Amino acid sequence: MSDNPFPLSLEDLMRAYRTMRTIRDFEERLHIEFAKGDIPGFVHLYAGEEAVATGVQMHLTDIDRIASTHRGHGHCIAKGVDVHEMMAEIYGKATGSCRGKGGSMHIADLSKGMMGANGILGAGAPLICGAALASKFRGDRGVGITYFGDGAANQGTVLESMNLAAAWDLPVVFVVENNGYAESTSVEFATGVDSYVDRASGFGMPGVTVDGMDFFAVYEAAGEIIRRARDGGGPALLECSVARFYGHFEGDAQTYKAKGENEYNRENRDCLKSFRKRVCDAGLATDRDFDQIDLEVARLIDDAVASAKAAPLPKPSELLTDVYVSY
Amino acid sequence: MPPKVGVIANPISGRDIRRIVAKANSLQIADRANMLARALAGLSAWGITDVLMMPERGGITGHIMRHLSHAARRGDSGAIDLTLLKMPVTGSAEDSRRAARIMAEEGVAAIIVLGGDGTHRIVASTCGDIPIASMSTGTNNAFADMREPTVTGYATGLVATGVVPRAVGVKANKWLEVRIDDEPPEVALVDVAVVTQQNIGARALWRTDTFRELYVAFADPQLIGMSAIAGLVEPVGRREASGLMLQLAPADKAPTVVAAPIAPGLIEKIGIDNWRRLRPGEPVFSSVEAGSVALDGERELCFDSRQKVSVRLVERAFNTIDVAAAVHFAAQNDALRKGARLAV
Repeated sequence: MSDNPFPLSLEDLMRAYRTMRTIRDFEERLHIEFAKGDIPGFVHLYAGEEAVATGVQMHLTDIDRIASTHRGHGHCIAKGVDVHEMMAEIYGKATGSCRGKGGSMHIADLSKGMMGANGILGAGAPLICGAALASKFRGDRGVGITYFGDGAANQGTVLESMNLAAAWDLPVVFVVENNGYAESTSVEFATGVDSYVDRASGFGMPGVTVDGMDFFAVYEAAGEIIRRARDGGGPALLECSVARFYGHFEGDAQTYKAKGENEYNRENRDCLKSFRKRVCDAGLATDRDFDQIDLEVARLIDDAVASAKAAPLPKPSELLTDVYVSY
Repeated sequence: MPPKVGVIANPISGRDIRRIVAKANSLQIADRANMLARALAGLSAWGITDVLMMPERGGITGHIMRHLSHAARRGDSGAIDLTLLKMPVTGSAEDSRRAARIMAEEGVAAIIVLGGDGTHRIVASTCGDIPIASMSTGTNNAFADMREPTVTGYATGLVATGVVPRAVGVKANKWLEVRIDDEPPEVALVDVAVVTQQNIGARALWRTDTFRELYVAFADPQLIGMSAIAGLVEPVGRREASGLMLQLAPADKAPTVVAAPIAPGLIEKIGIDNWRRLRPGEPVFSSVEAGSVALDGERELCFDSRQKVSVRLVERAFNTIDVAAAVHFAAQNDALRKGARLAV
């Protein structure tokens, strides 16, 4: 066995891979299942961006909170939300994380510090400021992470939250997952200030840009930013440049993308492929080790889909329960 | 017909983790575009209107187009005809490389570069003998000039149009070539650091306990970054025919210790075992068993115990516009003082 050249133990490396593989398989499977018409509502897939959720959240524990987006499956899985419950929730079943009443865009698990996917763009940012303020008052060293895309970055809620976080010195990390398109609108058409790091500067907080397709780049940068916030250093912004493999929503014809863009990214920028190659090249693990994880994850997802399909719908008598949750 | 000039402006430079682990600034995109607008004004003073620019998606292009359309609407003289190169935008260093290659084929007289040492390195290694006019928008900027862009554009115009002879306004520079085994070499314009971190990660260098060897083409104690370490023990000029190599060691065990600004606002104690001059052409093999090689302050190449890393100083490797020499020549030239050739 060679020396480990990575900033994570072998166990953590394999855990990171398993998380990324679980997200990928979850989304690839939803892509197939959604097309069959059994899933109510809409799904927005995260495939391609796994290195961001995983690279950031490897630094978190249950005391840390995240506020997610309409594209929240990856964030949920990386935060440790149960995959069976997530799948059941997406199918609208009573065994789901929110008893089938939230669906894809409202999966939440407060016990894991997952404050919810969110159907409203930019709505996670104020929520996480509240959570971070609570952590600051309690002195529990908890950090809040909010994710948003390059489109939601233009919402007033996000900008107001950045101002609040800076003014109150909150332990918040604003993570921009920038894939270059707000739904189908290129960033160039949507903003006068094209850089999200520039906005952070405008609010007096530092901002950093990393390659969001490289797990190790995200992991190292996020580690420093989260440590700074945890130690009382204040909020910061992390912009991750990403290339998602699917469109904005399932069924999106993606006419705004260049021909072959998705295929190029799958071939050349896949975070799972590059992660696996680097760990194998370093002599820490073999393809067999990774194949074994792939197999276990495939079984997990198969089982989650089968259980979700077999599970009961919520009863009509429960229509008005679980609508409001008392914190 | 006045010559064409190229512009390569990197929107990603100066955005890395040193905003968190050090106190590096973050030059805004609008400010970068404004710097470019000032440089273009300097160029147009000498009649240069034909400018080729690398396309990018970071926003600099959009801002500069807006600047130019405002100027055209107001009927300002010296309008620049800006052409964006037809090339795919990947948002990576590959864009700068491709743009430099196309500009060389198009026969530009000079390339104005807005970026950090990394961007300059890529352009310098691709553009052959076309001189670079450097404008710093990066983090450490040991190589790139810190100067008012109007003057950089003005000097570039003087040299590109031949008003100032090339022999006066263009200077040759050294660089360092790094080779892993028999792979094609990579270059660094200022420094090569060999560190024990065996991964690229967030690229920047700040964990001093991992620093082992340092090779510099030039070293100035007024600069920041890895070359500052060398500059604090033995300054080496940009035009001197040698570089410097240093063996680094933990600060509590080394015979020499300097407090070096290795990044903006980050001063660290660095231990130095020994150092010596690096002669041009002499290949030096690293004695670090495994780790990574940082080019101009950013980890770029990993190597393991089976691989050999060698570093070589090369003289007269690429050209830059010597802004000071060009404008001083102009100041001493009587015809220029009477406004000859001036386009404004």
